[in-house]
Amino acid sequence: MKYILTILVTVFAYCSISAQGIYDVAKIPEALTKDAVAVIRNEEQFFDIKGLGSAQYDYKIAITILSKAGEDWGDMEEVYDKFSTINNIKATLYDATGKKVKDYKSSDIKDQSLSDGFSLLQDNRVKLLKFTSNTYPYTVEYSFSQDFKGLLYFPSWRDLKGFGISTEKSSYAIQKYKGYSMRYLTSKNLKTDSVIIGNKIQYKWKSADIPAIVSEPLNAGIDNISAWIKVAPNQFEYDGTTGNFDNWKDFGLWMYNLNVDGNRLPDATKLMVQNLIKDAKTPKQKMQILYSHLQQNTRYVSVQLGIGGFRPILAEKVAQVNYGDCKALSNYMKALLNEAGIPSNLIVIGNGMQSMNANYSSMGQANHMILCVPLEKDTTFLECTSQYKPMGFIGYDNADRNVLLVTDGGGKIIHTPIYGVKDNYQIRKTNIKFNDEGTAEIGIKSAYGNAQFENVFGITLQEPSEQRKIIIRNSDIPGVELLTYKYEQKDKTLPVINEEINFKTTQLLTKGGDKAFLTLNQTNRKESVPLKVENRKTYFAVPFSYNDEDEIIYTLPKGYSVEFIPKDINITSEFGTYTAKFATKDNTITYVRTQTMSNKKYPPEKYNEYVEFNKKIYQADKQKAVLAKAL
Amino acid sequence: MCRTALKFLVLMLCIGTGYSFAQTKQTVKREFKFGKVLPAEFETKATGVDSSASAIKLFDVGECYFEISPVTKDFVYVFERHIRYKILNKNGYDLANYTINLYKGSGSEKEDLNYMDASTYNLVDGKIVISKLNKDAKFSEAFNKNYTVKKFALPNVKEGSIIEFKYKIKSDFIFNLRGWRFQSDIPTLWSEYNVRIPEYLKYKNNFSGYYQVEHPLHETVSATYVSGLNSNAIYDKYTAANVPALKDEPFVTTMDDYIPKIEFELKATQFPNDVYRDFNSSWPKIITSLAEREDFGLFINRNGYAKSVLPGILKGEKDTLACLKLIYDYVKSNIKWNKEHEKYATGTNPKTVFEKKTGTTADINLSLLSLLKEAKIEAYPVLISTRSNGEHPGYPIISAFNNVILVAKVGKDFHFLDATDKDLPLDLISDENLSHQGFYVDLKNATGNWISTETLIPSEKIFSYNLALNKENKLIGKINQYSRGYSALALRDNYRNTNNETEFIKKFKKDKTGLELTNYKIDNLDNLDELLTESMDVVIEDNVEEAGNLVYFTPLLFERTKENLFKLEERKFPVDFAFPFKESYRITLSFPEEYEIDKLPKGGIYKLPDDKGTFSINYISEGKALMVKSSISINKSLYTSEEYFDLKELFKAIVEKQAEQVVFKKKV
Repeated sequence: MKYILTILVTVFAYCSISAQGIYDVAKIPEALTKDAVAVIRNEEQFFDIKGLGSAQYDYKIAITILSKAGEDWGDMEEVYDKFSTINNIKATLYDATGKKVKDYKSSDIKDQSLSDGFSLLQDNRVKLLKFTSNTYPYTVEYSFSQDFKGLLYFPSWRDLKGFGISTEKSSYAIQKYKGYSMRYLTSKNLKTDSVIIGNKIQYKWKSADIPAIVSEPLNAGIDNISAWIKVAPNQFEYDGTTGNFDNWKDFGLWMYNLNVDGNRLPDATKLMVQNLIKDAKTPKQKMQILYSHLQQNTRYVSVQLGIGGFRPILAEKVAQVNYGDCKALSNYMKALLNEAGIPSNLIVIGNGMQSMNANYSSMGQANHMILCVPLEKDTTFLECTSQYKPMGFIGYDNADRNVLLVTDGGGKIIHTPIYGVKDNYQIRKTNIKFNDEGTAEIGIKSAYGNAQFENVFGITLQEPSEQRKIIIRNSDIPGVELLTYKYEQKDKTLPVINEEINFKTTQLLTKGGDKAFLTLNQTNRKESVPLKVENRKTYFAVPFSYNDEDEIIYTLPKGYSVEFIPKDINITSEFGTYTAKFATKDNTITYVRTQTMSNKKYPPEKYNEYVEFNKKIYQADKQKAVLAKAL
Repeated sequence: MCRTALKFLVLMLCIGTGYSFAQTKQTVKREFKFGKVLPAEFETKATGVDSSASAIKLFDVGECYFEISPVTKDFVYVFERHIRYKILNKNGYDLANYTINLYKGSGSEKEDLNYMDASTYNLVDGKIVISKLNKDAKFSEAFNKNYTVKKFALPNVKEGSIIEFKYKIKSDFIFNLRGWRFQSDIPTLWSEYNVRIPEYLKYKNNFSGYYQVEHPLHETVSATYVSGLNSNAIYDKYTAANVPALKDEPFVTTMDDYIPKIEFELKATQFPNDVYRDFNSSWPKIITSLAEREDFGLFINRNGYAKSVLPGILKGEKDTLACLKLIYDYVKSNIKWNKEHEKYATGTNPKTVFEKKTGTTADINLSLLSLLKEAKIEAYPVLISTRSNGEHPGYPIISAFNNVILVAKVGKDFHFLDATDKDLPLDLISDENLSHQGFYVDLKNATGNWISTETLIPSEKIFSYNLALNKENKLIGKINQYSRGYSALALRDNYRNTNNETEFIKKFKKDKTGLELTNYKIDNLDNLDELLTESMDVVIEDNVEEAGNLVYFTPLLFERTKENLFKLEERKFPVDFAFPFKESYRITLSFPEEYEIDKLPKGGIYKLPDDKGTFSINYISEGKALMVKSSISINKSLYTSEEYFDLKELFKAIVEKQAEQVVFKKKV
């Protein structure tokens, strides 16, 4: 009886939704159109877990596109892979009054493989439909079912999809059978409803009337302003494997077991390892030799198919072909170290993602693998996909975050090294000499460390013609002619790079009457100030902490004397500090600038202070000296 | 196209007509044998301008010849390629991943990869060590319903490795053969393409690019397509040696226009006992076949939809130009472009396009033409090769076009029409079409000709600042900005693609530090024939500076050209701006009683020879007021590489002169 009732309710719901006019734009509350380019009228997610490795997902969404700027929100892009199929796609276009314009046919829907931009091959595919309408507003509605065979992760849910889009109604329901266990994590004030239906339990979350938010610069995500939910299975089946995700320990154990026996090396490779390290004395020396062997002899090729997205290719195989993805190369390096008697552990990490949540284990918090080598005194982290990175330098996309260490006893959350203000330096010393005609010869010597090393290192891999273009483009100095330049990484094992650039220009002095103006900061000028944001709602952060030091010594053209130099400037704030010092002696001016920034996450209300801080720096960087021509 | 190839040939066999052999000329033969790598090849180094190249193409040899398919009994072509690289540094590693795209038609026609072999060679202790391509390193991906992508990853690649690939494709699509590119982004030591075309098939070939390709062989050779039947093929060999790497440059149509390459399109067939079948050998032939196509000529003629809607659109309007505009507006507001360029319609009837409300450029513009035709307005399709598709070679070759727009004749005036964007007024076509010329076709009379597609609407931006400087060094007043032509198109596009006016103003202010504005107003947004006008009240801080008793500022404020677009010492290719443009700036400024002008920069006029471009700036002061005018005119859309230097010098003058400051002295 209950069963029949459910069917009736469903049928009724369906009828009412397909009735004309329900998507009439006039029915959208005014608060939801403010600052919005699109409005989610209704979104329904239903995930029905049928077994450890099977589930059905029913999805339905209706979005009103208010203006041209909102068009992209109206595209259907649904991803699947060989462990799921998408079927029963229905798509309809409505006009502003909610009148049906057309139903799309299955021939309108494109099916193609989805490129992640770096893999040679992977098995994600996408169903694509572009809705087009020549008049605004319009509403698109589509629905589909997705059958899962293999369940590593569940669809997540968020009521706000991003900036500039509001949500009238959105809900998510997960249905599981009794005895199936899973965990979920919700945003702060989100209420979870649960009902028991026979031998099934349904969890429900919903949200309504959430206004749009204008895009905010430097935002650290919209987690604090949206309702969201993440769900993960405890036990699961996937591509012929089973496992348990209920905590990171078990998660790590699953990863470990996937790779059992994956560590063997062919005899020839073992021999090679022994040969390579025969003269090395310390484990660190051995590691250095093997890491540079890895960098010289392997290349990155990413192939992600099924369980191959999680299980490294056997070390034996990598030894044969000398290529692999992050997992294959990390595991191969682990095997090489093992042969040298050095134990190491694989690390599952979210490269460029948020830190992993220590209390909530799930797929989807990581996208990368590196290697951890715990030596007696210090622990070294190895990025095995780079043919260039100094040993132990993992880059700011891997630094300062919780990661999962995979051991034979299971997984363990640890934290990767932090590159701080002092580590990420740029120290620059410049000499600018004017000849009698006012032409300036400029010599700039810079040293870059860690995160700033990373930014500059890319230039050294370019061809000279490209390098020249980049150097000229990056320079603040007007009208430069590039004479010579040089990049040097003196010690390949350290993330430090030195740069020497020589320029010439005739446009440094601005002349007015018998005076000349000289902007004193020619090497590290802030050229713009971010706009203020009223009622900011999201947190913000700068990409990484850093520290810049600049010194410029000017030798003035003959016949000019210093008539005016600015006063020293000190600016301090919780975001960082700034100083500028100006001194003159004989026919020279010495300019010294320092700036430090820290990459903490700041609450929204601090943003305008941050803008103010930047504005002060902007003004300080424009300070000029006035030179007078001796008559 | 030539479905009956086998039939004709077998027929000939029965009749037993004999053909004599043509004598083959002796040529120097280079050998390219798979697996045969000489130790000397490992010595190859990059030299000269390419000395830092990541890899060198040692050779790239292609063969293209024909067979009769046992399945379709028709000609198919076979494409073989043998390519060998020396990897010089890690940036060249990606060459070891090889990708081949194979096309499949909607019917049974397709392309197959019949063979692929590949190896890596490393020199280890003076010996060559070979690593073959593993079976499990061959991948196949069904990209979409038309394309399958085959991918291969070679093992043991390191700096200094030599790698090679050899493969064979058979294709049912003989209308266009696979062409050949003799240059790439790494240096090429030897590139060669050998093409053997059966005597029964005639192809047009199209050479383009900025590097000399040799054509050492053109001869008749014997070729057997049906066993027992001797026949001939025309054998052509094209070669290029020591080709430097090609690097990207700005202001080009597409870099592909500058690569030396050859392309092929079927012109005619002549089978024995059959008439000479001419497909596209001349413009009249091309136009005739366009006229007969379901998705072109016949599409335009289907007038059912036009008949039903025209009375409602025209409402009795009699003036031709007014009718033209009404129909143009109707199409623009009823069909939305799906961002695809095509020269043939997707379907066979304009009705389906209007029903779908969306379509390709061809769907839209040919539907527009069907309406114009029904309204008895004289109009013609204009075939276009878009900028990213590359320059059309000029002689009769249909496949080099990828787009179609229209030209209408009203009285003595010609008007271009491109209904793919609501914001395009009559005479303005979307900028992808700006490849300088198009080919208009008169389907009825089977004639056509090249016509210039250079726009008649000038593209112009005018900035007018009316400000008062106060003693706090703030500038207060009004800004008016006017846009025309492509400048207006860009502004309309930007405005409409921004969430709302508040966001638009934010974007506007973004690179204008110190600007605060109120009362922003945009006029004629939907009035495409009028000047697009913006006005606002402004307060500008942080732009006038003070040092000692001197006050100074750059009068062009936010509109200064800060960077010379042309920084390279020389340029091999033309500079292609797509359209001429003009930018002018005027600021009228009053300043406080206590200020005196200390220095006004010198004005000046800089002209390119033959009025090809001008820059001028001048300063006038009277009492406590100052006026500065600056104007840039780029009078051509295309500048040759010889004119590059002049252009570079003009922009150098612009950057220098616009940076000069006005200095005031404060009375103490």
